[in-house]
Amino acid sequence: MTREETLERLRELQTRVQELRQASDNPAIERTMQLLDLYCHMARWELGDVRAMNPEAESQ
Amino acid sequence: MKLYKPAVEAQKFWNPYTQTMARADLDRLHLRKLQTAIEYAYAKSPMYRKLLDRHKVKPAQVRTMDDFIKRVPFIDKKEILDAQAVSPPFGDALAISEDFFHQRFATSGSTGAPLHIPLTYHSAELWGESWVYLYWATGIRARHSFYFPFNWGIFAAFWSAYMGVRRLGATVVSGGGLDSKARLRQIEQYRPDVMLATPTYALYLGETAREMGVDLAKTSISTVIVSGEPGGSIPATRHAIEALWGARCYELYGIAEIGPTNPGCPLQEGNHLCEDWYHALVVDESGNPVPYGEVGEHIVTSYIQDGQPLIKYRTHDLVRWTDQPCGCGSTWLYYPGGVLGRTDHMIIVKGVNVYPAAVEALLHRVSGLSEHYEVHVDRDAANDFVTVKAEARSDVDGTRYADIGRDAAGVFKSVIGVSIDVTVQAPGSLPRYELKAKRFFDHRPAGHRWQLAGRGQA
Repeated sequence: MTREETLERLRELQTRVQELRQASDNPAIERTMQLLDLYCHMARWELGDVRAMNPEAESQ
Repeated sequence: MKLYKPAVEAQKFWNPYTQTMARADLDRLHLRKLQTAIEYAYAKSPMYRKLLDRHKVKPAQVRTMDDFIKRVPFIDKKEILDAQAVSPPFGDALAISEDFFHQRFATSGSTGAPLHIPLTYHSAELWGESWVYLYWATGIRARHSFYFPFNWGIFAAFWSAYMGVRRLGATVVSGGGLDSKARLRQIEQYRPDVMLATPTYALYLGETAREMGVDLAKTSISTVIVSGEPGGSIPATRHAIEALWGARCYELYGIAEIGPTNPGCPLQEGNHLCEDWYHALVVDESGNPVPYGEVGEHIVTSYIQDGQPLIKYRTHDLVRWTDQPCGCGSTWLYYPGGVLGRTDHMIIVKGVNVYPAAVEALLHRVSGLSEHYEVHVDRDAANDFVTVKAEARSDVDGTRYADIGRDAAGVFKSVIGVSIDVTVQAPGSLPRYELKAKRFFDHRPAGHRWQLAGRGQA
C-alpha cells in the first residue's frame, strides 16, 4: 500500500474513531477510542502528515 | 511469529518511510515539525512565550531553517529550573493541563534543584517509540524478552526503554527491588534475551557473577543495550561487555529531560538522531552550526514534549555529526563515537582537546587495569591538568601498580600527546553505581569551562 493510500485510510479511520468516542456513553469505549485517536495522530506524523503536537490538548 | 506478519517482521527499519528519506526531504519535513512545535510552545508555555517575546520572535516569523537557526534562542536547564521555581513543581514551564499527565519524573538535583519532567500518555508512547528504532534495527522482535536490572524510581532512567518494550510488543522481566546476586539468579530462571543497563552496571554484574561462580557468557542474554553513560560507542568498553556477556552490545543516547534522542546504529560505532521525533544542531562556542564532520555541542528540539516543550535545548554533550550515508542504510544523521564528552568536561591540556571518552578508551588498552576509573581535572596558572585514578584487575599483584600507572601514562603521552598522571588503586576502592556513574571530577574555576556565547543565547 502506498503512503498516500495509507494516509487516506488513516484519516477516515480517525474521523470514525472520533465520532464513536463522542457518541459512546461507555467509559471503557470512550477511553479506547481516545487512545485510538492518539495512535492515528502518531501514525499520521510518522508518515509525514504533520499537524498539531497534541490535537486534543490544543483544542482545550 | 508473534504480532507481526512475516513480511513485516523481515523489514530492516521500524519506519522505512523516514529512516531512508533523502536529507533534503528530511530537512523540509523538519521545518514543518519545528514550526508546529514552536507554535505549540508559544501558545501553551508561559516560559516559551516570555523567551520568544524577549528575543522578539513570533512563530510566524520562522519561515525557513535559516530563520530557525538564527532567530530562535537556545534554552538551558537553568532557565527551565527558573521557570519551574515560579510555581513548583512545573511553574511557567508547563504547557498542558495536569489532566493530561501520565507520569512524572525528576532529576536527582545533584548539581542543584531537581528538574521536574511531566509526561503525557502521548509523550510516554513516543519516548518508548524512540527506543523501538534501536530494538528493531538490531533484530529484536516481539518474541524476545527484556531484563531490567534496576529499581524503578522517580528518575526517567530506563523507564522509556520499558515503554519501548511495551510499544514493540515484547516481554518485560523486572529486576526491581533485588540485589545483583538475586538479579543474576532471575536471569538464570527467566532466560531473557536482552538486558538493559548502564555500561558500568553491565560490567559490575561481571564481578558479582565471578563471586557466584556464574559464567555470564553462558546465560540466555544475547543482547546487552547500554545507556545513561558513554560506553556503548567506545570500542574497548563495548568489547569488554560483549566478552563478559557473550552478547552483542548496543547503546542508546538520551537525556532525562528530553528523552531517548539517539538510538544506536546497528553497526555499533555510533548512533543516529531519531529524526521522526527530534531535530538537532551541533554548534560551536559562538552558537553557529559546525560543518558536518566536526565536533560541537548537541542542541536538540523535541517534537514529543507536549507537557514541557524544549526547543533548541542545550544538552552540553559534545558530539561529532555527519550526514554521510551510513552502512546500516539509514539516512538519519549519524554521530560516530556517540557522545564524546561534556562541554563542561572539555579539557584543554597545552592546547590539545582531551575528551573523557578518549581517556576511557585508552585505559582499556592498558594491561592490568579494570573498567573502573575516575578522571580529575584541575588548573594551574596557565593550563588544565588531568589525573586519573584507575583500579587494577583483581588478579594483579599490588607490587605492579606503579608500573601499570607508568604504562597508562605512556599510552596517553603517545596517543594524545599530553602528560596525564595515572594512580593505580586496589580493586573495589572506587565507588560502584547502579545508574549513572560519576567518573569526572572538575576542580577548575567555572570561568575555565566551555561557554556558549553569541547569537540567540537567552
